[in-house]
Amino acid sequence: MSIQVTDLSKSFGDPPHKVLHEMSFEIKNGEYVSIWGRSGSGKTTLLYILSTLDSPTTGQILIDGKNPNTMSVQEIHDFRNHSIGFIFQFHYLLSELTALENILLPVRKTGEHEALQDRALEMMSLFGLKGLEHRLPSQLSGGEQQRVAIARALIRRPRYLFADEPTGNLDSKNGEIVMALLKEANQTWGTSIVLVTHERTYAQQAHRRIELIDGRLASHDAQISL
Amino acid sequence: MLFLAFRHLISRKKQTFFILLGVTLGTMVYIFVSGMQLGLREFIIEQLVENDAHLKVSGREEWIEPPAMAEALFGPNKVVSWFVPPAGKRDEERILYPQGWIERLRRTPDVAAYSEQMVIQVIAAKGAVKSNATLVGVVPDRQRQVTIIEKYITDGRYTDIGQSGNRVVVGDGLLKKMGGRLGDTLLIGGTGSKPTPFKVAAVFHLGVQQFDDNFIYGALRDVQQLNGTPGRITHIAVRLYDVTQAASLANYLSVGAADKVQSWDQANQSFLQLFQIQDLFRIMITVGILVIAAFGIYNVLTIIVNQKRREIAILRSLGYTPREIMSLFLIQGLAIGVVGAFFGLGFGYGACRWLGIWGENFSGHFKLTISYEPSIYVTAFAMATLSSLVAGLIPAVAAGRMTPIDIIRQEG
Ligand SMILES: Nc1ncnc2c1ncn2[C@@H]1O[C@H](COP(=O)(O)OP(=O)(O)OP(=O)(O)O)[C@@H](O)[C@H]1O
Ligand SMILES: [Mg+2]
Repeated sequence: MSIQVTDLSKSFGDPPHKVLHEMSFEIKNGEYVSIWGRSGSGKTTLLYILSTLDSPTTGQILIDGKNPNTMSVQEIHDFRNHSIGFIFQFHYLLSELTALENILLPVRKTGEHEALQDRALEMMSLFGLKGLEHRLPSQLSGGEQQRVAIARALIRRPRYLFADEPTGNLDSKNGEIVMALLKEANQTWGTSIVLVTHERTYAQQAHRRIELIDGRLASHDAQISL
Repeated sequence: MLFLAFRHLISRKKQTFFILLGVTLGTMVYIFVSGMQLGLREFIIEQLVENDAHLKVSGREEWIEPPAMAEALFGPNKVVSWFVPPAGKRDEERILYPQGWIERLRRTPDVAAYSEQMVIQVIAAKGAVKSNATLVGVVPDRQRQVTIIEKYITDGRYTDIGQSGNRVVVGDGLLKKMGGRLGDTLLIGGTGSKPTPFKVAAVFHLGVQQFDDNFIYGALRDVQQLNGTPGRITHIAVRLYDVTQAASLANYLSVGAADKVQSWDQANQSFLQLFQIQDLFRIMITVGILVIAAFGIYNVLTIIVNQKRREIAILRSLGYTPREIMSLFLIQGLAIGVVGAFFGLGFGYGACRWLGIWGENFSGHFKLTISYEPSIYVTAFAMATLSSLVAGLIPAVAAGRMTPIDIIRQEG
């Protein structure tokens, strides 16, 4: 169980402009990895490829031994639903649904939203969201919205969690809370986490840091103290 | 997806309400107009088919032609020059050999009943009031097998005409014009016959002015006598087992016949053309409503799909398939169509009922009849749902085609 990246590159546009240069690395099961680099270095691009949303121009990626580019539409969506959680820089909650309904959205697809309601409520109190169950996103603060989004990403206890600048829009206090929750998920449920950030302090909280400079792998084996 | 689709609709109450209103209104107008048009049509057809006859044999009108006249007057092979050539109708309309027709009709398996008639133009008078009228001489027992005139008797009994005895059934409009009542005596005179007293034995009201203001029914023998032409008939009204066979049977019977044979629809082609115009009008409204409702749904859904691009990206990243995304929007269009159609059916029915109640006291050339034919309602419902489905399909398919990565890149 791992994500294996082999000779991956990504180009955009015509004539092609290479944004990610050939790179190979592996993310092991249960690992907490940060992708770190300056703005425009290709972090988000890499994250979308790792998380099946985008495909590489050359090279390949294997998640749990399977190539997402050769999966059927049904398979890839089942995989996203069961094995992957996303957290975006902007919270991206559904504005018509309450906090609780948003958290249960992934499991509603399979009709498990009633069975897992207790788990969602538990997570809400764990994330400091008790009492906000029936509020709409517009009635929540930015930090609360982001915590709802994290709860949504984790409701299924997915094997992988991908987060793109989850602290980007938050103040430092809320940023710390989010970071603590990620760490907690990694420790309690063994969720593999790939965190994209340009902030060194947050990047250092991961087990391992992958540094990108202009679309090239600068270093990726430096183990950071846990 | 149903859950989310309805949340979307509820969260945009005003927009949803207005498209719903559009669909409702469209469906309602369709039902109302169709109910009125088809009601009128049913009524007219009933009048034409049931009150007149499915098929009618009548004497051919013959015109005087100079060569034939010359031969009759001066013998054959004479050259005759006229100062003023003879012209005009030769005789009153009559069936030359009624017995032959009757035997033929009896032998025709499609014929359910027939009734001989003598139709003449008369002047009816009551006191100083005079009025032109059409007097129809019938054998009541046979006439009632051919038409449903009995259903429209408002006063007295149709069969009181009897075999003879100068009793008549009069249209209520005509009677009113003359200031007469049931039991009164009218003086009826034909062209060249002296006025004879007839007693009003019954009154009918068909709801068609042309009949109610004009027609008098009497016993065949009385009318023949009044006209001074015993044994003569001018028409034979025929009822068939299957009215749809009328035209073909009329064509078949008229081959080689000296008399005219016409089915009800051949005799009333102008009405049937009117129906075609009505149909065209209805199709135009239908298409108009369809386009408006569909366009509204299309527009709103297109806007929604664009407003909800981020949501689409989220749902896809959470594992919702393109097909599920498509159904999310398709359901919304369809829901508006179905709910709007239901309201439209209800309001349309209500409007028809209201018009029906109002129309009870309405009198004009025709009685106001409204059709509640189920096919109107089925068509309206199918129309509304189908158009909303089609209208929803385009934006829904577009939504299904969007990929999360494209959306995220564009939204930043
Ligand atoms: N769809 C695209 N078409 C063309 N160029 C693109 C596209 N997406 C990204 N790029 C380019 O690829 C490079 C890397 O972009 P990316 O978004 O991965 O950077 P990033 O490291 O996430 O930056 P930031 O920290 O600002 O989010 C940038 O130069 C960007 O302009
Ligand atoms: Mg980025």
